Amino acid sequence: MSEDNNMTDPPPSADVPADEKAPARAGRDAMATLRRAQQLVSDAQAAIEEASRVVGQGGGARSAGGAEARLAVAESERQELASRLAEVEHQVGRLMTLYVATYQLHATLDPAEVQSTIAEIALNLIGAEQFVLLLIDDEDKGYEVRLMQGGADTRWEQSECYTGGDALVDAALADGGLRFGPTDESPALAVVPLRVQDLTVGALVILKLLEHKPAFVKEDHDLLDLLGAHAASAIFASRVYSKTARKLRTLESLIRLVNKG
Amino acid sequence: MNSVKNRKVLVVEDSRLIHKMYEVMLRPTTLLSAFNGHEGLDKLSQSPDVDFIILDINMPKMTGLEFLAQVKTTPALAKIPVIIVSTDGKEEDVARGLQSGAVAYLRKPFQREDLLKIINRIESEQTAA
Repeated sequence: MSEDNNMTDPPPSADVPADEKAPARAGRDAMATLRRAQQLVSDAQAAIEEASRVVGQGGGARSAGGAEARLAVAESERQELASRLAEVEHQVGRLMTLYVATYQLHATLDPAEVQSTIAEIALNLIGAEQFVLLLIDDEDKGYEVRLMQGGADTRWEQSECYTGGDALVDAALADGGLRFGPTDESPALAVVPLRVQDLTVGALVILKLLEHKPAFVKEDHDLLDLLGAHAASAIFASRVYSKTARKLRTLESLIRLVNKG
Repeated sequence: MNSVKNRKVLVVEDSRLIHKMYEVMLRPTTLLSAFNGHEGLDKLSQSPDVDFIILDINMPKMTGLEFLAQVKTTPALAKIPVIIVSTDGKEEDVARGLQSGAVAYLRKPFQREDLLKIINRIESEQTAA
């Protein structure tokens, strides 16, 4: 089976910006691979039909035997390609999910909306029923509980500072590594440190999954990785923007006062 | 083969993230977006020719089940297939949604293949009918 040597990238469509991000490019590449796989399945089906036609026409025992062999090969190829197509479609779906999560995290510069997007990703894409978002406090460099969803866990109080005590959370905040639990020292199912360059600006602590989701799946690990990188930069950018906008408004007010005076 | 033809679909869902997800997953389908049940009914009054509706259950202002009840009691809209999508995964929720007239129930989080399978089944049933 030949690989996609003769496959070319589709021309950029009008709605794809020139500075598109890697997930979008990866998504387009996967779609091109999918189209190629579809074509191969279609070719294999045509070969099966042709072989069936030859068998149907007769032409002696020898030619019928040859056609049957070709039919068997074509059928085997069709099954292999159908299996590959299913895999590629699954990959396309996975890339689409990652693309949408990235897109939505960076679609706003409002810190509250970024937090809301993180919560939506945790609930709707990962299937987390109960989770806590810790964000670094600019003033004293501690971690504040900025979002608590699913409730019913008295160890976490919204707007309170996290002072440590959960071994998994402490370890993730200390070294910036993704952690999975639960462990003897922590009930958390996963702790996703949110990192910008070398700074850990927060963590998403997943405490419980939805009832119909028994455990994390492979795709969730990609999403958690993505959250660790992109949620942090989105939070960082929105905080910087909101601070700058506030300072700008203050300066403009001062200038207006001076001009009046 | 999982594919989505160029159909017109109403998405009633309060999450912007999920709206974007449908936009990407269902290309080149034409999507009408509503963020609660009231908006959904407004969209339907303007465009009653949608091929099917994707409906979230938990929404502000008017829940998905209230919206569904309205659709099913409006003769001009009653035959539009409705797919319920929700994070609620309890069997009684599924049963309640299907008893209210939905043709399928999909639990979040879902994979693209799951959604396309349901859409293809609906389209096959429509063609057969």
